[in-house]
Amino acid sequence: MSLLYDEAQQQIATEAARVLDDAYSGERLKALLEAKGAYDQEFWKTCSEQGWTAVALPEEYGGLGLGLVELGLIAEACGGVACGAPFLGSSHAAAQAILRFAGEATKAEWLPRFAGGEAKGAIGFADAQDMLPVAPSLQLSNGRLNGVKPAVSGGGAADLAVVLASGEHGPVLALVVLDQTNVTRTLVDTFDNSRVTADLAFDGVEAIALSGDGLEAARTILCLQAVVTAHEQVGGAQKMLTAARDYALTRKAFGQPIGAFQSVKHRIAEDYVLVELARANAQHAAVHADHPEFGRYAAAARLSATEAYDTVSRDATQVHGGIGVTWEADMHLHQRRARTLAIEIGNMIFWEDALVDALAEAA
Amino acid sequence: MVDIDAYRERARAWLDSQAAAFGHAARRGLSVAEDLALGRRWQAAKHDAGYAGISWKKEHGGQGLGPLQKLAFEQEEMKHGFPNTYFAVSLGMPVPIMLRYLPDGWKQERARAALRGDEIWCQLFSEPAAGSDLAGLRTRATRDEATGDWIINGQKLWTTWAQHADYGVIVARTDPTVPKHKGLTYFWVDMKAPGVTVRPVKLAEGSSHVNEVFFDDVRISDAQRLGPVGGGFGVAMETLVIERYSATDPAGFGPPLALLIEQAKTDQVRGRPAIEDGRVRERVARTYAIQNGLAAIHKKSLLALEAGLQPGPEGALHKLVSVRTRQKLSEFAIDLKGVSGLRWDGDGERKDDWVASWISAPTGRIAGGADEMLLNTIAEKILGLPQDHRPDKGVPFNAIAQ
Ligand SMILES: Cc1cc2nc3c(=O)[nH]c(=O)nc-3n(C[C@H](O)[C@H](O)[C@H](O)COP(=O)(O)OP(=O)(O)OC[C@H]3O[C@@H](n4cnc5c(N)ncnc54)[C@H](O)[C@@H]3O)c2cc1C
Repeated sequence: MSLLYDEAQQQIATEAARVLDDAYSGERLKALLEAKGAYDQEFWKTCSEQGWTAVALPEEYGGLGLGLVELGLIAEACGGVACGAPFLGSSHAAAQAILRFAGEATKAEWLPRFAGGEAKGAIGFADAQDMLPVAPSLQLSNGRLNGVKPAVSGGGAADLAVVLASGEHGPVLALVVLDQTNVTRTLVDTFDNSRVTADLAFDGVEAIALSGDGLEAARTILCLQAVVTAHEQVGGAQKMLTAARDYALTRKAFGQPIGAFQSVKHRIAEDYVLVELARANAQHAAVHADHPEFGRYAAAARLSATEAYDTVSRDATQVHGGIGVTWEADMHLHQRRARTLAIEIGNMIFWEDALVDALAEAA
Repeated sequence: MVDIDAYRERARAWLDSQAAAFGHAARRGLSVAEDLALGRRWQAAKHDAGYAGISWKKEHGGQGLGPLQKLAFEQEEMKHGFPNTYFAVSLGMPVPIMLRYLPDGWKQERARAALRGDEIWCQLFSEPAAGSDLAGLRTRATRDEATGDWIINGQKLWTTWAQHADYGVIVARTDPTVPKHKGLTYFWVDMKAPGVTVRPVKLAEGSSHVNEVFFDDVRISDAQRLGPVGGGFGVAMETLVIERYSATDPAGFGPPLALLIEQAKTDQVRGRPAIEDGRVRERVARTYAIQNGLAAIHKKSLLALEAGLQPGPEGALHKLVSVRTRQKLSEFAIDLKGVSGLRWDGDGERKDDWVASWISAPTGRIAGGADEMLLNTIAEKILGLPQDHRPDKGVPFNAIAQ
């Protein structure tokens, strides 16, 4: 596959951006910030109506048989509008876990529902600071889960979660339906509430163990999710870059547009550099999804996208002066989202370690 | 569709076969004169093997191939440390631009001599008071009305390899009464002509590949003019974009990251392998992400080229990011060595020696467009942000406060 998007791919990107821009409402997103447990249902409906939930799943399970490149482009558009739900990425990750590590019956039961957007998935691997714990506190024995997964993004509204647990022979991925007795979801108040983050507690809850080494499998899923998220981060960063550029052209001070001051102008140029590096890394990783070195490409995408979104949203706010720090302006939606995406699927330290381990092993 | 991979394979095999005679090891301990002589032989060998002037037209003595083959060759050539530096400016800009402007005959002779490394051309643009602001240059060319000749007086600075050059292209002021961009004219000059004095300038890194060049009543004929009188700035800009398709290196022409990783496995921090130290890991990871991004951007622009599209403005981004990243990584690599990092290897090459890379990195951030100018390019050309305030805009050159 090529690093140049073909016509069909470009069309997907343009169409996704058009649909989302039409529906964008900063007001709705800001209302969600103050409504713990709520998410943008309109957005999620759009995802299934547009077939975005089906894009990267195989046709035999109701998907469209496309891949990470196409899903990435859609995620980029979603990032541009700081979309009000985490499920496009988290459901895809859950579906990939099933596709790769579950039995046929489970696939047949769940994948068409993910493709159609009827099911929402969540990923719960971390134990507090530890993104991929070697000995997860959550226990799976005799097909029953006991314990807690903290701060699971989407956990408050997902139908199904893929969790990393300690099994009888070490870490294992398990599939658990969340709407059942003895599952307690405690919504967490976060600075980005449309992520419907929740602590998930299991008290002898039935779960299906997935195949393979749990840590390896979790890492694979995280890498896939990292690439989708990196695109989302690039979309958000690009949005903030454009906002900063536009404002620098119109806002005047000392008799000229502020964009004529080099400290402003060069800051925006540096932000452009960050966005382009992140975009290239994200695209490169998506194109190499089946490459033996996908892991390091995904990590590079993740690192540069995180740096880009954090930095550009911070800088864009600065360029806006006082107006940028108001509730009214939408800048804080992106600042919040930038930080959220930076940590939800593993912070910089986690991905730096993942990358260096891969590089040092190969060298 | 051209088969670039096959071309690259052939080039690689040939380059490998030449490495022992001309590569890094063969150059160790050579004096500058010996290295230049080896370089000339290397250039001739490339010419004989069909690897000189790869993307030049056949009628100019080139191979008549495209930028993709040129790039593929350059990327492979870079790996061996061949003595090609003496010809980079010459074949990159001055010779191609004179080929565009001069009549047939003489120019083909010069081109062939340059392609074989027998002759070298230099580029006389910058001056003590005109670098980034090239149009502010002061070297004068005045018309001798009797003969139509031009008389050149003034000083150029930073002229790469002028001390070995046979010819040069020069921009001079022919009319100081009009705004600065409009009063310039472009010529070629014979570097051996009476009145031309070349003095090498020793750089911080210890070598002297740039020069100051003085012109004292140097007489040239009007036939040596390239482009119209007063059109020199345009020809200069045209010259600077000829090298649009040149090989890039995500490592900024410094050592590859893999070298640092190798060293960090044996070097120690607090009694443990350095590669286990968080600061080292952060640096390695962040640098990898930057270089991988640059490589992907480069690959994308090659594909665009292959598909017949114009390359975008990614060159400015690439130079800006790759060289300063190399500079910081080199500092870090020296740091990691502790006091043994102080050692200096006079024969060290910037592609595989951290000190050589570090000490020469600042030139990379100035020559060919300083970082700040590249940021201006990105901001203005790509993002559409306003130009800086320019008090000299539209003012006749002789009325600008000097
Ligand atoms: C190794 C080397 C080889 C070279 N080879 C050649 C050659 O062969 N031929 C040739 O003609 N020239 C050559 N040059 C010259 C080179 O093009 C100039 O050095 C370069 O353009 C910078 O000009 P300057 O040195 O006069 O610095 P200045 O232009 O004086 O710049 C000084 C500082 O001011 C900054 N600055 C200037 N203008 C602005 C602005 N508008 N906004 C913000 N910051 C600004 C610069 O970025 C820089 O940091 C070479 C230089 C080097 C170092």
